[in-house]
Amino acid sequence: TPHSGVVKRRSKSQSYRRSIRTCFGVASGLSLTPALTARRMNICRKAPRSQNITEKVKPEHLALLVKTEWQLSYVTPLYQFRHTQLKTYARQLSAFIAAEKQQGLAVEVGGLQNTFKVSFSVLQGLAETNDDPETVLIQVQSKPMFARQEDPPKTVWSGWLSCINGNPEYLQSLPKDFTCLPLFCSKGAEGLSSLVKSWLQRTFDCCFGPLDINQTTLQWLAALWTNCHMETNIQKLKMIWTLPVVPPLQVTYTVDSDDALELWRSTRESSAEKSRGAEDEVCIDFSEVTRFMQGLMSHFYRHFRVDLSAGELNQVSSALGSAKLNGKIKQISDQHLQPAHRMCPPENAHL
Amino acid sequence: MDNLAKHLLQRLMRRIPASMLKSTLDKWGRLTAEKRKSLDFTQSKWTITQELVALYVTENPNQGMWHTFQLLDPEDDAHSVELMQFKEQFKSHLSELKRNVSVKIKKHTDEAVWIRVAWGDGLSRPNHLKATYVVHYLQTPYVFVNALSSKNKPLLLQALTLSTKHQQIKAANLSGQKLTALRDLLMRQYQQVFPTKYPSPLPEKLRIEKVQAEASASRHRMAGETFGDGMLPALQSAFFQLETKFKDPTNEAMTQRDEPFICSVKFSSSNLLESLRHCASSGIASTPVTPLLSSIPLKGRNYFVITDNVPTA
Repeated sequence: TPHSGVVKRRSKSQSYRRSIRTCFGVASGLSLTPALTARRMNICRKAPRSQNITEKVKPEHLALLVKTEWQLSYVTPLYQFRHTQLKTYARQLSAFIAAEKQQGLAVEVGGLQNTFKVSFSVLQGLAETNDDPETVLIQVQSKPMFARQEDPPKTVWSGWLSCINGNPEYLQSLPKDFTCLPLFCSKGAEGLSSLVKSWLQRTFDCCFGPLDINQTTLQWLAALWTNCHMETNIQKLKMIWTLPVVPPLQVTYTVDSDDALELWRSTRESSAEKSRGAEDEVCIDFSEVTRFMQGLMSHFYRHFRVDLSAGELNQVSSALGSAKLNGKIKQISDQHLQPAHRMCPPENAHL
Repeated sequence: MDNLAKHLLQRLMRRIPASMLKSTLDKWGRLTAEKRKSLDFTQSKWTITQELVALYVTENPNQGMWHTFQLLDPEDDAHSVELMQFKEQFKSHLSELKRNVSVKIKKHTDEAVWIRVAWGDGLSRPNHLKATYVVHYLQTPYVFVNALSSKNKPLLLQALTLSTKHQQIKAANLSGQKLTALRDLLMRQYQQVFPTKYPSPLPEKLRIEKVQAEASASRHRMAGETFGDGMLPALQSAFFQLETKFKDPTNEAMTQRDEPFICSVKFSSSNLLESLRHCASSGIASTPVTPLLSSIPLKGRNYFVITDNVPTA
């Protein structure tokens, strides 16, 4: 039976936050590097938790984050970053961009007459625990020199630094002067992205690295989004594969959400270990994710006798969002309840 | 031609003075002398604009979305319908069914009959900028249609059925952007009518190279037999709506379900048949190729609904 899809206003905001956390949490968590923790994080994740989270994130802030495709990177802890100095940082970054432009660095946006104005702000409410530093939003606005006064400046670049559900032990173990905001999401001209990263690197002595979403992450998202269908109508689970033939063949496999959920549930029931945490949390094992994916692929094989594992899973999407192999994520939101997921320990962000 | 381009063309035409229209088009050099001669510059600018758009569409048949229909139950004299008769009959039947339509029919050198239908309603004249295009090869059962609204669909199909002396017409479940690909896919089954234009598959041009293993050679052979050898029509997508039960011996819970597992699969490629052939020859698709996939070239379809009762619908 289809979900009724009726959502109350309050749960909307809960869902935005949870949605965002799942999406970005999974992506950042699973794609960060080293081996030991990689193995650990790939094996088990805490399942969605149904809590009553009060509305903490302002609607206008949420509107900035959702329904947009973000490019993901990870960043090492920032040295001497103060949430109280945001106005100063905005001035400094503006000056930096202007200086770089003077030196003839192409910024790709607008003509030489454009002035850039930078703003730093805090997006409150995304951080889940007391240990998580608050999310910082950076926006670059541009206004041509000869524009009229009343013309509003256009936002040409935005990015945000975030720590979603970091490991409290790790966060507390960091030396005092370090702030951990390991997830960096950006949208806008590549030139401006480079400038912003460059400024952050030299100002806070940090390093950036690409956060590529890989096959494992995509499979997790497929399973986790399907899992969310218990509380929120994800409408459909859509997966896109590419097969390495000439010319390349794209396979878009879309599964009805109710049927996907039944398949997911059936793979979980047959799972040998089901650990239950103290707070009624259920741990999802990666082997369950694998079994779920194998179920989907075997149904496909039964009909087409084509082995999807010979190809590459490129994209996964549902009503809650989409994620692509090249590190781009979109959180669609205005959908419903979605529980939070724990992000992987940010200690992996150390280079 | 998309709406923006049409709009731009209209505006351009409005701005060019009527006296300069012919010389401008000559200078533009995009139309052949023959095409330019076919334009009647004594007509209104509006009419000329419409003709330019029509020219564009016929020159660029691989745009927009073409849907295929199949004529069924031919009457005894269906095979002897020739062009003049078809033209007269189609125009007369369609105007009986709907007032205020404008029909232009022309046969191209490749034997394709192009029909352009401009629909008007009670208040306005027929608009050739938003015309429906139909391509039909006489004495074949297939009709390709572009830009037909659901309102006008029954009228057009009726007129086609009557004028070709058939009793029924149905959707052939084959759609795509490239008219030539759809046509080539279907005409491969019609070689007896067009022996010179659509020769039978080139024999053994397949490059087997250094295939040692028998299995590999067998795969290549089966791939060629299923999809064809040599160049294949550039079909770009195939869509399967699956409503079959989930059967997996390792998953009892799902296998015991009564309800079907609802999902859909879309295959896309710049040349789908070549991709599928390569899947078969490389082993990504097990051979013999499943009827679901082989139905695409064999039945000339790219839309399927698969249920448990009809395995290859």
